[in-house]
Amino acid sequence: MYITDVKSGKRHDIVISPIEPEDFKFITKKEYFFNWKLEKDYEICKLRIIDQSEILGLVSFESIPDEWRIHIRLLSVSNQNKGKNKEYERVVGNLLTYLSKIAIREYGELACVSLKPKGAIAQHYIDKYGMNITGATLSIELMEILDLIKKYDK
Amino acid sequence: MRTSKTNKKTSNPESGVDSRYKSIDEKLSDGKRLMEARLKRLKGLSRDQIIKAKLIQLKLKMEEYVKQPVYKNHDFFTSFLSDYIDTIYEKRIMFAKDINITPVSLSQILNNHREPKKEFMFRLMLHSELTYKNICTFEKKTWYQVYYHEKLCDTMANQDKWKPAEKKYVKIKNAVLK
Repeated sequence: MYITDVKSGKRHDIVISPIEPEDFKFITKKEYFFNWKLEKDYEICKLRIIDQSEILGLVSFESIPDEWRIHIRLLSVSNQNKGKNKEYERVVGNLLTYLSKIAIREYGELACVSLKPKGAIAQHYIDKYGMNITGATLSIELMEILDLIKKYDK
Repeated sequence: MRTSKTNKKTSNPESGVDSRYKSIDEKLSDGKRLMEARLKRLKGLSRDQIIKAKLIQLKLKMEEYVKQPVYKNHDFFTSFLSDYIDTIYEKRIMFAKDINITPVSLSQILNNHREPKKEFMFRLMLHSELTYKNICTFEKKTWYQVYYHEKLCDTMANQDKWKPAEKKYVKIKNAVLK
């Protein structure tokens, strides 16, 4: 999996892994928009470029095995990667693909990754990642997962 | 939809999403509604899509398996191999034909009566390469990794069984190393 430097177009291989307790020193609300310490009871994963320590994206989630799904709780890129002036492209897509792979490993064709964005940002996720809409819940299911894996898991 | 203070701060959609449920009731009712919709969508899946899902699931399980020592009395290699064949073929004999080995040889490998030969591993590697080509990435070394990982784990886990018998054949004559 890789991200692309917006300015140079250069690709960088990335790694997504569970966060370490010492990472909390650097995961501030200013840099990552939320109080991530409140998510300590849940699984939290970080995205970084291989051989670099800087965290470029974060996601916290909970597995709901009875419903064959993974629900995203918080998802964030680092401050430098937001908006039009972001440094790297594909950070969010890679995080979604990572969770999709966990879901498909655990639940096969029944896999589902859900999120419930508040406000008007839902439309972006529907447009960019082809998410399904059920009430206020958005979901990635098998068809979307297959597309994500093809696009991002390389 | 309500817009929270946090969302205003992170109004760029790719910056951050707060998707936490406010209550257990909300989680349960959303889950129930989502499940009803998903079950309807699942009915629309094609056989090809389900096969692709199973193949990706198998690949991810194998990748997970080789990451850490697993000390279980289970035949992982042949179990993964059976899943691979049964996902793609209606009859195992068809796989044997496609990689040009006899059905008897395949059966012996799958039932752990015979170790896979080098040629079998090569052909399995090539077969998987073709299978996964248009689905997802598949590391050529995966089957080998699974096979040797199982051997390694078994060897380390069963030292009490092989060590006493083998120990008597091993000695060091070099005094420096004693």
